[in-house]
Amino acid sequence: MKRIWNSIETIILLLIILICVLPFLYMFFMSFKSTLNAYDLHFSLGEMTLEHYRTIFGKPEIIRYFFNSLFVSVCGVLLTLVTSSLAGYAFARLRFKGNDFFFLLVTLTMFVPGEAILIQMYTVVRGMDMINTFWALILPLPSALGVFIVRQAILAVPMEIIESARIDGARELSILVKMILPLIKSALLTVGIFAFIGAWNSFTWPLIVTTKDEMRTLPVALTTLKTQYDTDVGLVMACAVLTFLPPFIVYLLMQSRFEEGIAQSGLKG
Amino acid sequence: MRAMKNQTIQKMGRKATPYAYIFPIIAILFVFVGISLILGIRYSFTRYNLITAPEWEGLYNYKKMLGDKKLHQALITTLTMAVIIVPCQIVLSTCFATLIAKKRHTILGKIAKGAIFIPVLSSNAVVGTVWKAILNGNNSIVNGIFHVFGIEPNLLLGSSKTALATVACIVIWKSMGYYMILTLSAVLSISDHYYEAAKMDGANDFLIFTKITLPLLKPAIILNLFLSIASSMQIFDLVYTLTGGGPSMSTTTIVMYLYDLTFKNGKAGYAMAVSNVFFLLVIGIMLLQRGLMKKEVSEL
Repeated sequence: MKRIWNSIETIILLLIILICVLPFLYMFFMSFKSTLNAYDLHFSLGEMTLEHYRTIFGKPEIIRYFFNSLFVSVCGVLLTLVTSSLAGYAFARLRFKGNDFFFLLVTLTMFVPGEAILIQMYTVVRGMDMINTFWALILPLPSALGVFIVRQAILAVPMEIIESARIDGARELSILVKMILPLIKSALLTVGIFAFIGAWNSFTWPLIVTTKDEMRTLPVALTTLKTQYDTDVGLVMACAVLTFLPPFIVYLLMQSRFEEGIAQSGLKG
Repeated sequence: MRAMKNQTIQKMGRKATPYAYIFPIIAILFVFVGISLILGIRYSFTRYNLITAPEWEGLYNYKKMLGDKKLHQALITTLTMAVIIVPCQIVLSTCFATLIAKKRHTILGKIAKGAIFIPVLSSNAVVGTVWKAILNGNNSIVNGIFHVFGIEPNLLLGSSKTALATVACIVIWKSMGYYMILTLSAVLSISDHYYEAAKMDGANDFLIFTKITLPLLKPAIILNLFLSIASSMQIFDLVYTLTGGGPSMSTTTIVMYLYDLTFKNGKAGYAMAVSNVFFLLVIGIMLLQRGLMKKEVSEL
């Protein structure tokens, strides 16, 4: 009985792995196949071709989409880290009027359902004349979650360290940058990774605030590409691989950080 | 005199420092969340098409919602999706988390834990594109696999009978790992003593799961339940990339409908009214969750 049960469990695990991985294997596989025989799945290593990758890297617009995505994500991460560190430190360790009140306000925004205020946000961005700008893509990226995680981490730093630095006459900013931030590296890393993946994968927001082709990010471009080269599955799949890889590589490098981050925040990453 | 002046300036500077630190995030949230909500309320009382100036209409948009058949259909579609997605999400994530926790030291368990997370971290654009290619392609092997189960793959997204269930399945596939990880950390935090004691008393695996694991997972399951409800009510990306809301509106969710109203039909004012009501609905569900979670914690 026990042995049967054990093999059932093994089979379920195998099924989970297969179902999760197969579509991505299909994506990779198709991207290395020549278009001529894209629809039959006969495959030999000798037939593998890089032609689709050569084609997409030869297209200036695709390089541009990639650059847009990269620029937006990197700026988004930096902006998130700066705003979360500053605010997280102030909320955790500085005394000022309204500390609790402002913190409550910030936390409340975590409960605002993102997709439900999408068109409202769009009108705000339009009103500021920021449609088709990097500002529109980058500025809304920082969220309350980052502040929350950083504040939590700074609360765990012993108060004495900060007090003694203050007595030595250190300025708040240098206390934060030189002493606190190095101590909460792991929290910052979590915030940074989540900000990167969120920004890189973001689809709906870039879709509505960009109309010009040269401002499109890779995920948005991918869906328009599909209609443009409808017959060329291989080419579309090569682009999908390009969109898929950066978050995947980050994940491979820091798998444990991911699980911690999700378990810690309990919020959609 | 001068030194004193400098000191007061320094003191004032000290006092202002905290506000300077919280200013950037407060400003960002105020502009993109605060002003959005205010503008949304304002525009909801107007006829507005994003191009010409809004015209005051009073409560017209809110009254219109009562008779809007398409809106009702979108609401039903959204709720149907939630009804399919949420129970699957909860049951599967609880079972998988327990299984993976049990096998976490085996190679297979480790691979499964990693693999289940790959869909979570890929963009909805990638997920939509790849699944669409799989389901619509004429690949002999893919078709062959589906034929084993008696399914015609091209029809899954193309028929108004099956499109909704297909999109729901892909949503489950995509976010399974997220809920699994949340549950997994709860499973791993259950002390081994409970299990050892139960085994001493001769309890079998099934009894251990239903009498020990499940009750202790209750807070995690409630959290999952509401995260899953809130996110399945807000589905847009995957619908947009997989079906565009079709065929014949069968997969048009509320958010998809909002998008169409605003950007295709020039009814931004009305869309804001719908969106405000929808917003309150989702917030209501989240508040309910808070209440339940608090009760749960105090019961423990």
